[in-house]
Amino acid sequence: MRRITMAIILKGRSISKGCAEGEALVSREPIGFNFGIHVIDGAITEYNHELFGKSIKGKILLFPHGKGSTGGSYVVYQLAKNKTAPRAIIAVGAIMGGIPVIDRLEKDPFDLISDGDHVRVDAGQGLVVIDK
Amino acid sequence: LQLTDIEKRMREGEKGKPVRTAMEILIALGEIYGAEKLIPVRSAHVAGLSLKSHGIAGMEWAEDMAKEGARVCISTTLNVIGVDRSQDLHLPEAWVRDQLRIGRAYERMGCIGTSSCVPYYCGFIPRYQEHIAWAESSAVVFSNSVLGARDNREGGPSALASGLTGRTPLYGLHLDENRKGDVLFKVSVPLRNLADYGALGSYAGRMIGTRVPVFDGLQQPSTEDLVYLRAALASSGSVALFHAVGVTPEAPTVEGAFGGKKYEVLEITAKELDERKQKLTSAKDRKVDYVAIGCPHCSLKQLKELTTLLRGRRVNKETTLWVHTNVAINYLAKQLGYVQVIEDAGGVVTQDLCTILGNPEALGFETLATDSPKMAFYAPGSNGFHVWYGSVEQCIEAAVHGTWNA
Repeated sequence: MRRITMAIILKGRSISKGCAEGEALVSREPIGFNFGIHVIDGAITEYNHELFGKSIKGKILLFPHGKGSTGGSYVVYQLAKNKTAPRAIIAVGAIMGGIPVIDRLEKDPFDLISDGDHVRVDAGQGLVVIDK
Repeated sequence: LQLTDIEKRMREGEKGKPVRTAMEILIALGEIYGAEKLIPVRSAHVAGLSLKSHGIAGMEWAEDMAKEGARVCISTTLNVIGVDRSQDLHLPEAWVRDQLRIGRAYERMGCIGTSSCVPYYCGFIPRYQEHIAWAESSAVVFSNSVLGARDNREGGPSALASGLTGRTPLYGLHLDENRKGDVLFKVSVPLRNLADYGALGSYAGRMIGTRVPVFDGLQQPSTEDLVYLRAALASSGSVALFHAVGVTPEAPTVEGAFGGKKYEVLEITAKELDERKQKLTSAKDRKVDYVAIGCPHCSLKQLKELTTLLRGRRVNKETTLWVHTNVAINYLAKQLGYVQVIEDAGGVVTQDLCTILGNPEALGFETLATDSPKMAFYAPGSNGFHVWYGSVEQCIEAAVHGTWNA
């Protein structure tokens, strides 16, 4: 059983409603979804990217914003259909269909969330709970 | 978000399910970005059409939209697809079949099958200050920056939604106040070729995030130079608009480009460009089995230059040279004999597809040489290729010798 010693609660803006919880994966670099992610296993394939080789599948993904190809929306749709999408997305400016998405948090999430943290997202209420 | 009566009726489904879906997408975007209303757009350009991006899930989604009666109501062009409709490039049969199904679904919706990332080379040229809803990151930046049209960085589905409704939410780059520069890049090094412009774009795109870059010091760049600059900006970053002082319409002067805003200044010297070129190179093995030129799709002028480099020469028998362009330029280049010269040298001029969105890896290539910063950036992730990045002359030498000797 997980031992939670402290929970940080942040309010943000709901972009796409839904609830999810899981392990955080943090990218300080923007993410390009089209050609930057393998749709079968969710691995980041962009050469030189800080998350190169890591999979976003089933994670609570935190990244600053999208970049690159404008075909990315279709890739996110494929990831969702293939069940290789992140469980939720925390961004500083993004819209992604079908996955809970939250942005504009009251504090900088990059200061508070590290890889592996257990994070709960309630995009309907606009809440992020980080269990430390 | 205020809707007009007709827009409300569209949202309620009076014009069918696809228009209702389209309105829902546009309203959701408008609400997120704080738009007050929707505005009319003159044209749309839909991207993300490769089977790699759509997958079977996206293909079926597009076919369902077409079956349910989706029909565009404004000029809506289509981006690059993953096959060449004019010739057999020996790509896998299932790939070709499904890729053609995607293209046909969109054409059934009334979209124009330009199959190109450079619709403006096919005659689709938005005017200064015209509101449009284009996807294809490089075309977005060209329209906004070089032509002075007004476009947010649309994704494939939101561009289609605008095509189906003739509207887009009023926010972002449709508004004057968001079109001013944020960072000044002082370019003190002479840019000699497309690879230099590409390296500059790639460097600046990575530095700038979502802000608006302003370049000062560009020496009379050609249209192709600007095409490579912005394709690199848009692939390595999230840029949707740049200004170049004395070159692009919204930047007659440095002050004009920033509109009185405070700005950061960054110097660009040969060091930054060299570093970036090295970053775009991911290959170690000097044996090159695949050379690809034309990302974005080649202009007629680029094809003509290639004939000069290739006339009387022969591509190495262990190397494949593909030159990507679109149907319009290909047709003209055939008429003018350029395609013949390239074919006589053992190269292949392709239309509709490109390396990133096509599937050349299915033919077993491993190491790519290209002059395109956009292709160099995406090919490792999209195709699994190791990449040499350099000028078109270096790439043609690699094609002829089968090795990278620069």
